[in-house]
Amino acid sequence: MVDIMGFIDYVTPLAPHLILIIAALVAPAIGMKSGKATEVFMIIAGVFAMIVTGYLMWTGYVGEFEGLYQFNTFTGLMSLLFLSVFILVAMMSSAEGRKHHGEYFALLAVSTVGMMLVCAAEDMISLFVGLELANITAFALVAFKKNDPRSSEAAVKFLITSGLSTALFLYGMSLVYGFTGSMSINEIIYHMAVTDPSVSYMVAIVVLIAGFAFKISVIPFHAWVPDVYEGAPTPVSTFLAIGSKKMGFVVFFKLFLLLFIAVHFLSQIDDPTAAMRIHELQWVFGMLAAGTMIVGNVVAISQTSIKRMLAYSTIAQSGYLMIVLCVGTEYAMATGLFYMIVHVFMKGGAFIVVAALAARGLGENISDYKGLSKRAPLVAFAMLLFMFALAGIPPLAGFTAKFFLFSSAVTPDGTWIWLVAVAVINSAISLYYYAKVVKTMYVDKGTTSERIRISGSFKLAIAICAIGTIIIGLYPGPVLEICEAAANAYIGGFKEWLFDFHSELFPPIP
Amino acid sequence: MIPIELFLLLSAVLFSIGLLGVLVRSNGIVILMCIEIMLNAANINFIAFASHSPEPLAQIFVIVSIAVAAAEVGVGIAILLRAYKVRKSTNIDDLTTLRW
Repeated sequence: MVDIMGFIDYVTPLAPHLILIIAALVAPAIGMKSGKATEVFMIIAGVFAMIVTGYLMWTGYVGEFEGLYQFNTFTGLMSLLFLSVFILVAMMSSAEGRKHHGEYFALLAVSTVGMMLVCAAEDMISLFVGLELANITAFALVAFKKNDPRSSEAAVKFLITSGLSTALFLYGMSLVYGFTGSMSINEIIYHMAVTDPSVSYMVAIVVLIAGFAFKISVIPFHAWVPDVYEGAPTPVSTFLAIGSKKMGFVVFFKLFLLLFIAVHFLSQIDDPTAAMRIHELQWVFGMLAAGTMIVGNVVAISQTSIKRMLAYSTIAQSGYLMIVLCVGTEYAMATGLFYMIVHVFMKGGAFIVVAALAARGLGENISDYKGLSKRAPLVAFAMLLFMFALAGIPPLAGFTAKFFLFSSAVTPDGTWIWLVAVAVINSAISLYYYAKVVKTMYVDKGTTSERIRISGSFKLAIAICAIGTIIIGLYPGPVLEICEAAANAYIGGFKEWLFDFHSELFPPIP
Repeated sequence: MIPIELFLLLSAVLFSIGLLGVLVRSNGIVILMCIEIMLNAANINFIAFASHSPEPLAQIFVIVSIAVAAAEVGVGIAILLRAYKVRKSTNIDDLTTLRW
């Protein structure tokens, strides 16, 4: 007798992933018949996976799969985020790869599954597999316009930088394994927190940071981002900007944010000198964050292609998110998650507008947008919303997200005030290039006043993003509460584990 | 038993050769091979640590990473082949359409 209920319990932590994998396996078969049907099918699969994830979160489910993957509020929230990225990208993909619709959606779904697995990973092996699943499928997606030289150029650049980052990660991982003797992320962090830094420890940390810095496009590892985003098909650029980037940050949260929290926690309960060990590391992150913001924003000013401009703005946004790693508190993580969610809507919306207009034959240079307010008033207004949200103008969601994020860095000891100052000045700089797009659309006279009509699925996707940007801006409470619950579940669970593990190794003297 | 330092030295040398190759060579296929050398340096580390540890964990990781590297190279070669068909060159210094 097959134990069906037992099996369902067994796979529940990976239920959303399994739904998407099954859909990805079926997609090429449907793609043989009709492209539109595949799109609809994949969106339904994504929504179904979202409902399952939402239900599991709502019931407060916490589960583990073989000690490799875990489902808790944090992984649930991140899965919801990646699934909404997947659905938005699927909605804007109707024009891409007409001949290979099934394969396109299958790759997209598998890449999303990889990102979700990274969030759920409890172990270095599962983290590595998830990371590579997301990466290798992303190469293929970037190269999807087979006969476009720009697409293949972007794919080669992406392949080489990603391959290099994987190699760095794996080498750093092997050294870390050498001096911790464990593959479980929690145990690795515990050992790293209690060991005094040696040379091999430093090498391992530097190599690991370098490996992941490629993923989140921190300077000096950012050069591939604009090239790849410009050359790749626009939906894939969107996917990389609002999905893949977040995955890199989740890895940073899993390794370094938890390391900082572990060190502070241990210095509270046991070893007061522990906090000194990571002091320099936090400053390294602070410098990287400041440099990334400045480079991203200053270089974005001189861009003429809108996709490159958005790519540099993505780099700048990574700089803002790095603040979370410097501060290293639970509240900072919650605001970081909030910023990520908002970023999906505002940056995703801007990319969708670009894709929708490109599908109607408009160029991808900023100057092509002259007089857009006459040619497509609603789309131009949506673009205005996204641009102002990205710049951080109240009452849009971008302002709220930046406000929470920057305020989390204002701690009583005032260590990171300078970083907040840099971030605020950079926000002001960024207003220049975002407002330039708005000025081009609304003030400049276009050569033609022919109307542009965009197709239905684009309209729906733009509407979702615009509504998300406005609603979260006006009424951020519930979303922030979920983010706080997620950060609390993740860090609180880790601290409990840490306390037990520590007192098992060093029993308190009675 | 061979001391573990020698393994680590070997892997460090291999890693450096691979990294140098990625940075200075301009042929796409050679760069891909250099990345493989770097991955294998990490694998040597894992195997060296595994031989000094009772757990099979590191060996499992090596098998997983070999499989993943094979998949990566498969997709990578396909992309380079496509780039070659479009522009008749695997030299990545020629990839200059996208800049600034």
